[in-house]
Amino acid sequence: MFLAVLTPKQNDDVSSDAALVQQLLRRDVRAFEKLYDRHSRIVYGLVLRILQQASTAEEVVQDVFLQLWRNASQYQSSRGPFVPWLLTLARNRALDNLRLKSERQRRREDQTEELPQIAQTPAYEQALDEKRRAEAVRSLMSSLSAPQKKAIEMAYFEGLSHSEIAEALHEPLGTVKSWIRNGLIRLKEGLQAQAAS
Amino acid sequence: MSEHDQFRELIEGYALGSLDEGDRGQLEAHLASGCSDCGAALAEARWLVTQLVYLAPPAEPSEMLRARLLQRVRAEGVNAPSAATAGAPAKSAIPFWVWAGVAALLLLTAYSTWNAKRMGDRITELNAQVGDAVKQREALRQELTAAKHEAVILTDPESRRFTIWPNDKQMPRLEAAWHQNMGIYVTGQKVPMPGKNRVLQLWLISKSGKPMPSRTFWPDAKGKVDLMIEDPPEVMADTKALAVTEEPMGGSPQPTTTPMWVGGVS
Repeated sequence: MFLAVLTPKQNDDVSSDAALVQQLLRRDVRAFEKLYDRHSRIVYGLVLRILQQASTAEEVVQDVFLQLWRNASQYQSSRGPFVPWLLTLARNRALDNLRLKSERQRRREDQTEELPQIAQTPAYEQALDEKRRAEAVRSLMSSLSAPQKKAIEMAYFEGLSHSEIAEALHEPLGTVKSWIRNGLIRLKEGLQAQAAS
Repeated sequence: MSEHDQFRELIEGYALGSLDEGDRGQLEAHLASGCSDCGAALAEARWLVTQLVYLAPPAEPSEMLRARLLQRVRAEGVNAPSAATAGAPAKSAIPFWVWAGVAALLLLTAYSTWNAKRMGDRITELNAQVGDAVKQREALRQELTAAKHEAVILTDPESRRFTIWPNDKQMPRLEAAWHQNMGIYVTGQKVPMPGKNRVLQLWLISKSGKPMPSRTFWPDAKGKVDLMIEDPPEVMADTKALAVTEEPMGGSPQPTTTPMWVGGVS
């Protein structure tokens, strides 16, 4: 059930998200309710993974959806699909919260303060339905070495920089850079292969 | 490795947000130069990064969060202006004409209040003016009545005119007109002012010789006496003479001094 709500399965669903966002501009509460029911679980799962605390995660999720409600015009369908935009927004919010809690230097503040940038859906994405893509991501990431997977997770879920990860894992900076880049390339190639099969 | 390839190696890390400051600055400068290949690669890398969300364990937010969020959204949907339409005028749930009506009503109320106060002040002012006019009218009426009395007393054939003579030949005489029904009118010129805390008092001397006290008076600054007794006492028919004495302030029931003026009615 979890996978079924991760991201839209079809182009119709994607356009439906965009249509619902358009309805938010007209203060349509029912449209908001649909968007929340459709995406709140994946957003909450991401935020909870980052913050590791349910109550704080719910506060961040609430902020994310309120921002969507109040500033729906910030999302423009011409610049990419809705779900990556929403997930990027949620991740940035959660990482900001995490940094405030740990009083860590806000290294990425110039990125997190601004809205999500263009995220272009690749052609191979459309050949995979939601469930298959999710399974593929998990499978491909599991095939990486433990340190490589750990480095990517530290970057994505903890917002750490290459040098911070290198320091935490006691590995050379160049090694960490290669792990992360090669791991993401492998993920991309794996998804392409899945789509082609 | 070309310079472009060097930047290309930074794309995934940049999309992940894990580049250190130096690398990030260099890549951003390269992207700002308009490299379309890197731009397209970055857009795809961003999408790829979002797929890492599937590494997060499944979790479901509480129903309370949903209820709380929807409650706020519904409240803002009804009460708050939309910030969603950036740059567009905020759209109220209440039609403009209602606000215009309310504004007009408030203006009308404010004007009515101001006007009512203004009218109230004006009415108070007019009431005061009316009060003054009534007093003036009453004073005029009294003067007219007195003048009519004087005229009647002085001109009526039934009136008797006579002189009230001073005991002191240096003193001026007084003139009197007496009417059985209209009263007595006494005038005089160059009458000296009585002493301090003293007044002049008119007496009606009956045929039996008994003095009946009447009005007290003073001459004005020029010594003029203008005394009207509008309602003559019943004893007037029996009055044979008028006398004037100087008495203490407030007058006396009986003469306390020798009359300064005496005049027979007949």
